[in-house]
Amino acid sequence: MVEYRGLDGIPEDVDPYFGIAKLDEQLKGIPSKKIVLISASPSVGNEVFGYQIIHKNIISNVKVLVFLNRTSPQSYLTEMKEYDFPSNDNMVIIDAYSGITGIKSDETDHIKVISNPYDREEVKSKILSELKNGYGLLVMDSLSLLADFFDFQYVNSLIKEIQKISEEKDAAAVLLFTDWGYDKDNVDKIISEVNSVIEVKGIEKRVIFGQYFAVLNCDWVKANDGFSSVLFKSMKPGGIKVYFPKILVTGPTDAGKSSFIHSASHNAVSVDKLGGTIALDHGSVDFEGYKADLFGTPGQERFDPLLKMLGGEAIGVFLVIDSTKPEQFPRAIEMLRKTETYGLPVVVIANKADLKGALKKEEIRAKLHLDSAMALIQTFAEDLSKVDPNEPTKLKDEGVHEALSVLFKQLT
Amino acid sequence: MEGIKTGFKSFDESTGGLDYRKTYALFGNKESGKEQFLYNLVQSALASKNAIVYVLTSKSYSDLINEFNVRNIPINQYLGKDFKILDDFSRTNSPNAMDNSYAKILNGPLDLTGLSVSLSGVNSDFIKDAKTVINIFDNLSNLLMYNNPLTVYRFLQFICGKAKLAGVTTIFSVDTAMHTPDIIETIKNLSDAIIDLKLENGKRSFRLSGTSREVLEFKELE
Repeated sequence: MVEYRGLDGIPEDVDPYFGIAKLDEQLKGIPSKKIVLISASPSVGNEVFGYQIIHKNIISNVKVLVFLNRTSPQSYLTEMKEYDFPSNDNMVIIDAYSGITGIKSDETDHIKVISNPYDREEVKSKILSELKNGYGLLVMDSLSLLADFFDFQYVNSLIKEIQKISEEKDAAAVLLFTDWGYDKDNVDKIISEVNSVIEVKGIEKRVIFGQYFAVLNCDWVKANDGFSSVLFKSMKPGGIKVYFPKILVTGPTDAGKSSFIHSASHNAVSVDKLGGTIALDHGSVDFEGYKADLFGTPGQERFDPLLKMLGGEAIGVFLVIDSTKPEQFPRAIEMLRKTETYGLPVVVIANKADLKGALKKEEIRAKLHLDSAMALIQTFAEDLSKVDPNEPTKLKDEGVHEALSVLFKQLT
Repeated sequence: MEGIKTGFKSFDESTGGLDYRKTYALFGNKESGKEQFLYNLVQSALASKNAIVYVLTSKSYSDLINEFNVRNIPINQYLGKDFKILDDFSRTNSPNAMDNSYAKILNGPLDLTGLSVSLSGVNSDFIKDAKTVINIFDNLSNLLMYNNPLTVYRFLQFICGKAKLAGVTTIFSVDTAMHTPDIIETIKNLSDAIIDLKLENGKRSFRLSGTSREVLEFKELE
């Protein structure tokens, strides 16, 4: 049984599951007997979804059968490894590729070879007979290529047979499909055969400037308002990460904005002079399957014209305050107003909570007139003896992670 | 706006070079000089500050670099900068082949999605740097050999359509002797312009149709 911990950190019994942030939160994994179609635009692709789903399940002891006709098993395993998704004994590949290129592939315990991938009966019988051998999940990469090789009628009847065996054997299936602009009726027929459809697309004009996935339908989860689209980035290594392109970190001078960004990110950059940030901070956060770009504003009033610019297009805000300096609180609220980010999800970070004279949470709430729904998280220096006023201070993971978790949850 | 010079004087003078944003099919049999045409185009286009994505389906990226080197075409200075290679061949023989700064290793001829995704990515990077881009497919015949032709047509339609929207010029070479007339005919229909090459009496010649300055009689390529 797979244990999935979302942003709440609460384990859920899901078996199998996607291993992709937000998708597991929205759909609660893939229940057995269910078939999921992941349909991608050809300029974005869905293969990394496949790698990640396979990997998360095989490391959780779910036996996964991979039908592969897109590339050779060796090449597939190499690419999985490049994404940091190494295979293990729980993964078995049906190789429907090598027979096409004429390159000999030896059958092993983990690679089952289809000798003639042009033979529709051999392909079908190999998939169906192997699926009966106790797999928790079947991943097909790719279903569209199979339709290209044979036809949509063949693919539809295969899905029906997979459904039947999945019901008998308590298995689930994920079908990877690239929509090259096929006849709509053919695609609709496939959609009508499966239990859930996830769409993967690019936001593009002349160039692709974003990628998103969205659950189009799902028959085991009720979503009254529908499912939201989710921006993502595909990282090598790392795989699919839910992506927040711009989160603002603002607050008065010396409250600890740079410290927060540096502690939360792996590659933060500050443009600063003698300790105080005079231009901006930037850092990329990679946390629990989420990726976010943090932009920090300078605290000094003379830079207020910059605030508006930096606040534009932000989708969430961390407001960092110094718990020992209540005299700066009005400035903190003013900065939030000047960023024009009112109405966006905000998490207040009460930094320096470990210093002498730091106000308690309730006192800060009262002085800042915070609504009870507004999150207030305390952060502390990892080691007070190492604090250097000219360098960002490393903060304890505990508070930083809590702050990230609370804001990300509000954003999804 | 002047076209993209191919480096062949007779071609460039009579046609004005390749038009930006157009899709060209480069037809010819094995000895017609398609590769030489593409290599000259690479040299000339890079010298004029264009960016090139070179898609390989029947040789490895290291073989391609060698071919440039033996022809004394200076390529090293452009590698990873204005010249990037999508190698759809190496993994067939060496499954562990890895990417480097100028060559991305793809999964082989059946993975057209992988090719399309990588092409979009590299094109986007070049366009964001405000470069004019040429996509060169050397060659399409290998993709046609392994895939259902209909699949390749859909792929072509998709990537050429996207290339046009992005202002990218596309040229793909096709070995005419390898395909049936109906396949050649369909590829012609999917292209804006056709360059035919042939070798006769020890001389290579070309003709061009589908542009404003057509050359409809074979003319020596020099």
